[in-house]
Amino acid sequence: MIPLALQSISEAEQPFVTRLRVATGTADAADSILVAEDIDGATFAGRNGLVSISGSPAAALDGDVVLVSSGVGRVERLLRAGGLEIPTNTLLVTERCDQLCLMCSQPPKKTHHDRFALLTEAALLAEPGSLIGITGGEPTLYKAQLLDMIETVLAARSDVEFHVLTNGQHFEDADVARLAGALYDRVTWGVPLYARQAALHDRIVGKKGAFDRLQDGLAVLLSAGCRVELRTVLLSSNFTALGELARYVTTRLRFVEAWSIMQLENVGYARKRWQELYLDHSADFGPIAAALDHAHLHGVEAQLFNFPLCTVPAPYRHLARPSISDWKRKFVPECSPCAARERCCGFFEWHPDDEARSGVRPL
Amino acid sequence: MVADTGRFFRAGPAARDRIAREACTPEDILFLKEEGHVPHPCSRLERRSRQFAEAERLSWANRLDYLILVPTLRCNLSCSYCQVSRASLTSTGHDWSEATLAAVLDRIDGLETKSIKVEFQGGEPTLRLDLINAVIERCRRFERSEFVVCTNLQRLDEDVLALFSRDDVYVSTSLDGAAATHLRNRTASSTATEQFLGNLRLLIDRFGIGKVSALPTVDPRSPPEPDELIDAYAGLGFNSIFLRPINFQGFARKRHPDSREQNGEWRRYYERFVRRLIERNWVDRSVVFEETYLSVCLRRVFQPGSERHVDLRSPNPVGVDYVVIDHDGTVYPTDEARMLARSGIIDLSIGTVETGWDTPARQTLDRHSTNAMDPACRQCAYQPYCGRDVIDDIARYGTIDLPRTETEFCRKHMHLFDLIFELVYSDDPAVRHSVSRWLRLPGTPTELGVTLP
Repeated sequence: MIPLALQSISEAEQPFVTRLRVATGTADAADSILVAEDIDGATFAGRNGLVSISGSPAAALDGDVVLVSSGVGRVERLLRAGGLEIPTNTLLVTERCDQLCLMCSQPPKKTHHDRFALLTEAALLAEPGSLIGITGGEPTLYKAQLLDMIETVLAARSDVEFHVLTNGQHFEDADVARLAGALYDRVTWGVPLYARQAALHDRIVGKKGAFDRLQDGLAVLLSAGCRVELRTVLLSSNFTALGELARYVTTRLRFVEAWSIMQLENVGYARKRWQELYLDHSADFGPIAAALDHAHLHGVEAQLFNFPLCTVPAPYRHLARPSISDWKRKFVPECSPCAARERCCGFFEWHPDDEARSGVRPL
Repeated sequence: MVADTGRFFRAGPAARDRIAREACTPEDILFLKEEGHVPHPCSRLERRSRQFAEAERLSWANRLDYLILVPTLRCNLSCSYCQVSRASLTSTGHDWSEATLAAVLDRIDGLETKSIKVEFQGGEPTLRLDLINAVIERCRRFERSEFVVCTNLQRLDEDVLALFSRDDVYVSTSLDGAAATHLRNRTASSTATEQFLGNLRLLIDRFGIGKVSALPTVDPRSPPEPDELIDAYAGLGFNSIFLRPINFQGFARKRHPDSREQNGEWRRYYERFVRRLIERNWVDRSVVFEETYLSVCLRRVFQPGSERHVDLRSPNPVGVDYVVIDHDGTVYPTDEARMLARSGIIDLSIGTVETGWDTPARQTLDRHSTNAMDPACRQCAYQPYCGRDVIDDIARYGTIDLPRTETEFCRKHMHLFDLIFELVYSDDPAVRHSVSRWLRLPGTPTELGVTLP
């Protein structure tokens, strides 16, 4: 696993955003340049003074856009540089949420620390061609700040795109004009919908009336011509309702760019409720296959996230995306002879090893 | 039953009776609601998504990004049904002039799109490689460009090969079936036939099957046995066969006077051909053969917007997103319109490349280029899937002022969609296998169309 936060000591009195540079060649005002490195860590100097970072060689931090806390604290690697063809990073804008999903991978907190100014600064420093994910909590609880940040960054950076995860509970018809703006051609909204049955969806997200509110939110996104990626996490409770959901998608939600059916992540609440929630799709792929076929029949691009390739029947394998980010992805020893690893999502770092190992059939 | 959105269901006899008597059961109502046929009046999403689904059925052409260019009318073959009224190899005055080339390049400079598709027609366009290369060179500024050279592949020298070796250049040619058929229809000598087939194989071997597409033209009075045609295509690695009867245009009109309309015999042949594809696909699952146009229509039924087939759409505006620029710089709305003018039947040109084509002629043609208001189409279940082709009506009947149901365009598509729905509701696993592949589905659903019993 690649660490996203490291211990640090900084001279600054306020948290600040900077880009770490090992070489001085392309430095601009926002950069901090490496001045010393030893076995304890690396020290960088920039307009906010010195910052010493431990736990990683300096070379691995080169180009990272980081948020440095004041004094003794930590650096958060907001935008990691290098590696991917499309540099992809996720910014967490709040930990508050108005839903309480049974399987939440990042359980919400009551308090909110507003970091929009710092995150905007960071996003403006993103690598060329970056895709920046926005997540929470629920980002649209701070809709005004969120949209300001998106517009500021996209107006200054024509090469950047955003993907925002939102529960779709807070869009109003009054937002249509703004969301229809040209800048939003580079924003995709990832919106979860777990069942066509309001009661079942509401129970899964832990909020009464959420399904009805979500319908209105989706109507706003439709009217604004927004790009929407619909997301459905697979659970034992909605597995058999997948067929009705597929029909709902092909009749009501034809405007979505993609429908992602996602396997559960063994972290947060899902970890505690694993036995109750987890549905082993390799035991019965039928309802998933039927949903994928129905969606594609009617021209909706359905795809699979977090489904290791070897657990998916061959005709559907091309729909399984390498969806797990590098920093939290793992393969088990049984995967080593597999020829399809490059295209495979692998497993979440925290997926139970015995479950993972017993299911693997190298391709 | 088909809604304006194109979403359809089959009503059994009992259900038809209940609907006719307006005596729907609660189960019927629930079915209709779930299928999206009865949007809830209080649901913003249901109302808007219904509108969205209806809008999806309309084509929208806005900016010119597809040019069909005829750099020369001269050709080194003389096919029995030549649709473009070719000129002899040595004739003069049938190629773009310097001024025409300059005007074409100017038009390319003026395009406002990021991508462009250019199709080179003829005559035999490779006789004027210099013009083709000049156009390609001028398209370098586009983010995406695609060039299709429609050629008889009789001549494949170094210069032509160099052109075809470009990744953005594709080759389209004619292959009428087995060598004897191709010889009879096109090449007239076995040397020329061998030359063509040798060149075709060379291209496929060197660049892969994706480089080349081939189309047959079939004489409906003596069509080849389906297997003969399929084998000729399969032998070269082609899976998609566009079964076209001789078109009632160009020289074809004079030599094949009875080709104005297809009769039941052609339709039966077409169907037999499709059934044979289905059988072969079922016996050997490793290959999927398709009739190209049937697949286009099938995808239009289920997957609106997945095709950009300019021959079947509504509205079908002329001179908007694509135009044909002839050898003398005249601009036509379609290749068929060019042939009509060339045959001296009617001049459907809409302008010239120098002066433009936002002309009264274009506007007149455009005024009726939709099936939305046609009284016959409005009563037709297949309206959301179908299109409108004023040029075809004029070509066949000299007028568009006649009931749509009495046109070949209508009869052809009525037959195709009838066939499609017969296949969609077939219980035969072989049929469902082929239909699912033609729809590009990962699996084979047990049910392609729903039924209200």
